Amino acid sequence: MEEEILFYLLERAPLLFFVVDNRGRIVQANGYAETVTGFQLRGTPLADLIVDFSGTFDPGNLARESHKEHLLNIKARGLPQSYYFTFTEVQDQVLVFGRSDTEEIESTRRKVQSLNEDLNNLTRKLHKTNAQLEQLNRLKDQFLGMATHDLRKPVSAIVHYTEFLLDEATEALTSEHVGFLQTIHSSTALMRRVIDDFLDISLIESGRFHVNLDATSMEEPMNRSLELHRPVAKKHGVALRVSQLKPLPVILMDDFKVEQVFNNLISNAIEHSPTGGQVVIDLSLTGEGVTVAVKNTGDTIPIPELEKLFEPFERGQNRKARGIRSTGLGLSISKKIIEAHHGRIWAENPEEGGAAFCFTLPLDPQRGLRSE
Amino acid sequence: MISEGSMIHETFYGEYLKNLLAGHHRKCRGMVQELIDEGIGIKELYTDLFQRSMYEVGELWENNRITVAREHLATSITDSLLNLAYPSLFSTARTGKRAVVSCSVNEYHQIGAKMVADIFELHGWDGHFLGANAPAEDMARFIHEVNPDVVGLSLSLLSNMDKLKHHIDVIRADFPQMDLLVGGQAFRWGGLEVIGSYGRTQYIPSLERLEATLAEA
Repeated sequence: MEEEILFYLLERAPLLFFVVDNRGRIVQANGYAETVTGFQLRGTPLADLIVDFSGTFDPGNLARESHKEHLLNIKARGLPQSYYFTFTEVQDQVLVFGRSDTEEIESTRRKVQSLNEDLNNLTRKLHKTNAQLEQLNRLKDQFLGMATHDLRKPVSAIVHYTEFLLDEATEALTSEHVGFLQTIHSSTALMRRVIDDFLDISLIESGRFHVNLDATSMEEPMNRSLELHRPVAKKHGVALRVSQLKPLPVILMDDFKVEQVFNNLISNAIEHSPTGGQVVIDLSLTGEGVTVAVKNTGDTIPIPELEKLFEPFERGQNRKARGIRSTGLGLSISKKIIEAHHGRIWAENPEEGGAAFCFTLPLDPQRGLRSE
Repeated sequence: MISEGSMIHETFYGEYLKNLLAGHHRKCRGMVQELIDEGIGIKELYTDLFQRSMYEVGELWENNRITVAREHLATSITDSLLNLAYPSLFSTARTGKRAVVSCSVNEYHQIGAKMVADIFELHGWDGHFLGANAPAEDMARFIHEVNPDVVGLSLSLLSNMDKLKHHIDVIRADFPQMDLLVGGQAFRWGGLEVIGSYGRTQYIPSLERLEATLAEA
């Protein structure tokens, strides 16, 4: 019977068993030990199985305290495993038994499982909250779209009627009243720009922002934008210059929306240029497509801001040369317009100083940029 | 059994179950993602894959064919796979109705109850899920906070029937008119007479029955 019990304990039970000689080599090991370690154990030094950071493991020494259990880690398949070992000297050999603490393993397993459940439940809550936030965001966009749409008409009427009064009725008014009208005009014109920006953002966010592509030369929207900005540039003493070495091919674009991009970039460049400075619009044909760089002679842009500048309401830390107000949406809208053409927009600091805002439109918007 | 016209064929199901029992969570995840990418309905995914495989895993455990550890591993994998369905689940149109779903104390099998909360979501309800082993008093506090139209309770082990009764008693004390839905694998072995003794308390044997009940609500 003892033989049966011994066989079961040594070969079936989840128990490590080794017989180690006086040189610390394993002369016998049970099947469980070989299964756990994945090693051929006979002849292997027991120390090779033990994860021993101090390098002091010696079975002979440990056998002097045969009543004591020692917590040791062995090199098992995969990660190390912890066992409680006893070492008993019998004649000139050491009998080594190792047991695992199944209570501890089971309780740890339950805790890990519970943590996993908590994590899954929190993930569910996160998805639910995300969906609620997306819905709220949609409602916000809807409200913004409706409010700005309803505001645009009366604000435009104020702009047009003040323009009419400034053109036709200044003789009948005092210079102070004319000044009032000019303030009303500039304030409502700004309000209309803000409303237009919000309308664009509302269209973009709702996924209803589309481009109407036509074969156009890049010079067309650029020239219209330049004409629009010459009076402001002149007023602030900023020179506007175009640099173009070769004629550019006609490409497919929504030229009114590309003009909007030019308007944003040129007005930004004027705002950031000091009096006496200049804004250079560089047109070139690159490997990617037609590239435009709008360079100013203002401050360079701090590196961390270069990417963030195209996010909504990011105004950057650079001080404008003059306090022209804006919504902070212009660059974000420009980015969406360029991306709708499968192009690319970015900001950089040229070696010669100042800052440059560049974009590239592919020769064929349906195929995107050549480098993609 | 798999419902008629299901996207999940027997060979697919067999492969999934094999991976689930082997603990190959990445393979299971890939298979579920494949179904979602192909546009499987959430209800179909839940009943024909998750519910069916978990019932089969449960039977294997009950018949001593797999260990508790293996059963828990399969459960944990399935629990994590529910997350894949959530991006589309929570974006369904809202009805404004709310449900709170929970397991009672000492109940550590949460997937069934969670799937019930998800079916509420699928039908436009806010399906709040409190998790496994939720104390009745915590649940009552949450019900005060959320003011749901319905409360769902799950019971996996019949031996925990007293805990479920305690839950119902605590809820009834504060919310005598609250509609309660109860369900879970425990009721395969009995306990329906206990549920029958409570008013405004309905036993829901399946997700199909839950959907029919929600359609009437």
